[in-house]
Amino acid sequence: MVMASEDEVSLLVIVVDVNPIWWGQQANREPQFTLSKCLDAVMVMGNSHLVMTRTNKLAIIASHCQESHFLYPCKLWKSGDGHGDDNASTSGDGKYELLSVANDFIAEEIKNLMSRTEVKGNQTDTLLAGSLAKALCYIHRVAKELEAGQEMKSRILVVKAAEDCALQYMNFMNVIFAAQKQSILIDACVLDSDSGLLQQACDITGGLYLKIPQKIALAQYLLWVFLPDSDQRSQLVLPPPVHVDYRAACFCHRNLIEIGYVCSVCLSIFCNFSPICTTCETAFKIPLPQVVKSKKKKLKPST
Amino acid sequence: MKLRVQLQCKNLHEYLKELSPEILDRLYNHPATCLAVYRELPPLAKNYVMRMLFLDQPLPQAAVALWVKKDSEKDHDQCVSVLSGLRLWHSQQLQGGLQGNILNPVFKDNLRIALLGGGKSWADQGDSLGPDRHARDVESLDKYALERWEVVLHFMVGCPSAAVSQDLSQLLIQAGLMRTEAGDAPCITSAGFQFLLLDTASQLWYFTLQYLNTAQTRGMDLVEILSFLFQLSFSTLGRDYSVEGMSESLLTFLQHLREFGLVFQRKRKSRRYYPTRLAITLSAGVSANSSSTAMGATPGTGDSGFIVVETNYRLYAYTNSELQIALVALFSECLYRFPNVVVAQVTRESVQQAIANGITAQQILHFLRTRAHPVMLKQNPVLPPTITDQIRLWELERDRLQFSEGVLYNQFLSQADFEVLRDRAQGLGCLVWQNVAHRVIVVSPQGHGEVKRFWKRQKSHT
Repeated sequence: MVMASEDEVSLLVIVVDVNPIWWGQQANREPQFTLSKCLDAVMVMGNSHLVMTRTNKLAIIASHCQESHFLYPCKLWKSGDGHGDDNASTSGDGKYELLSVANDFIAEEIKNLMSRTEVKGNQTDTLLAGSLAKALCYIHRVAKELEAGQEMKSRILVVKAAEDCALQYMNFMNVIFAAQKQSILIDACVLDSDSGLLQQACDITGGLYLKIPQKIALAQYLLWVFLPDSDQRSQLVLPPPVHVDYRAACFCHRNLIEIGYVCSVCLSIFCNFSPICTTCETAFKIPLPQVVKSKKKKLKPST
Repeated sequence: MKLRVQLQCKNLHEYLKELSPEILDRLYNHPATCLAVYRELPPLAKNYVMRMLFLDQPLPQAAVALWVKKDSEKDHDQCVSVLSGLRLWHSQQLQGGLQGNILNPVFKDNLRIALLGGGKSWADQGDSLGPDRHARDVESLDKYALERWEVVLHFMVGCPSAAVSQDLSQLLIQAGLMRTEAGDAPCITSAGFQFLLLDTASQLWYFTLQYLNTAQTRGMDLVEILSFLFQLSFSTLGRDYSVEGMSESLLTFLQHLREFGLVFQRKRKSRRYYPTRLAITLSAGVSANSSSTAMGATPGTGDSGFIVVETNYRLYAYTNSELQIALVALFSECLYRFPNVVVAQVTRESVQQAIANGITAQQILHFLRTRAHPVMLKQNPVLPPTITDQIRLWELERDRLQFSEGVLYNQFLSQADFEVLRDRAQGLGCLVWQNVAHRVIVVSPQGHGEVKRFWKRQKSHT
């Protein structure tokens, strides 16, 4: 029987979109699926990942519209661990101790986060690119702290609720390419409307993209599709890749465009023509009629 | 020639498979065992369990078969056999007459409890006792555990300073790791040497298996002990737990565990105990034992990483533990000895001497690999290939003869008879050896019956 090598660490970073505006509207639309239900499902997923092997690691990042916050592992957890007297773990039921401690901290952290932040009118988009960058940094740090001889596989799972934000296009693409370079999978579980950015992220990094038909069954979708790691995915039949919306956002107005102008020097994309590239400041010469030149060339061989 | 006794160390799955169905079903009554069993499943089977964990209806078998891609059907079949072998899922008739699978309800409930909470707590936690005035930190627990376990190992190599209880020495003898001549102090066997070369986690697991085998003869309840053991392995390091509510036999078991260093108890009558890292990594040894890729000694137990092997067969062991030096000396010649380091040379004679003692090349390499210095661990492969190859070749030197049992057929009256029988044996795939000139063939014992019948028929025809 082939056992998964105990030396391989598998790190799963779950990025949860906790955009308060979207979840507030969601609570009105569908009162049976709220943020706390969603976090329950995420915790089930996290627990399932943690129990799979001893070496599995987990991190959960809440992506708010003002900050990206680590729900687990968090500062509270570290201090509690050091003293060894964590009053949170004495729930006294049959749950695996490690999990009950972790889940209590996650619940505590999300409560703190949601009560701490006030939503101001102008900033309503989820800072997803920032959270992903934070996830990558965390993965990098864990990889550096590994003991000699250990190897690590890591992936990021995004549970996405709110709409895409075209303003973050540049940052998002940079994060995606960084992940690709580090061979980190990005998976996306989309609750509401399709996200072009995440489709690209999953396609480029080789992750799975799934827009779930029934929000209420989130936990089951997570366990079914996103729990298997890359090795097991090669064996299992999973949802087929979606058609990817590869439209890029222009650098001038952040609109998603299909056809546009590309600077020949720095490859910046624009939705309308400008004689000077705003990114690299190259001045484009107005194209002259080429007729004269080509005629000369043609004439030369004949003479 | 005596056949070599190989130290067989079963993993958890192999062990459980041999238990009777009733015991298995009772085992799954505890969340900790369910978690431990779940962890030892093949990765694909883990996903199967997770997919079915929240389903209350049986799934049609055909649907389950469609979960995997075409080219992984073999893995699927293996998972199915493992899951049914451990009685983790049952087949059930569906309404339409189809065969369906459903998770073992007891297992399902308890795994859910372990994962999501609910049910009653595993054990009384130390809170009822209030904070411990003599609380132990993680470091001192590690040190304690290591010391206790070293005493056992020292006892095995016959250190006069190491003394263990009657129970423990009895257990070592029963496990075949030591033997005793009438009246004499027990001495180590070849299996014992092989045992010493394992890494700590595997040693513990092997030892635990032996303990479990004899548990029933001691009048202990196997299920109770196993559940407690798994519960220990999922507990938190540095926390105290209370002995409240434990049965008499479990308390005896706790005293034994205390002697091996798996738990720390300040006094025999103390009402609380601390699990040590050894107990917590116990189930880590479960799967690490058989695979050759298992590296890295139990973290934090202090015996990790002190050996450097160079391509010139020099071996540097940065240790001052008598035990470790004795182990290194099992298969190498000591050159110099300094306060913190021993320099030894791996030679053909020394390795062959070790192999004559019943140690295999694989075990030597495993020992070197698991105790490799962090500097060595950085390179890939960890051990220089020249060394690994040469040690294997030295072992093969002794294995030039291959023994196989067989039945001799000779004194054939004609060449034709000989050829007919030989071809028949060859066709059956049981021909071990033949000599045409002397009209002699050797047939394996399994094929003997068939060949004999064939020959009888052949004779009656002619």
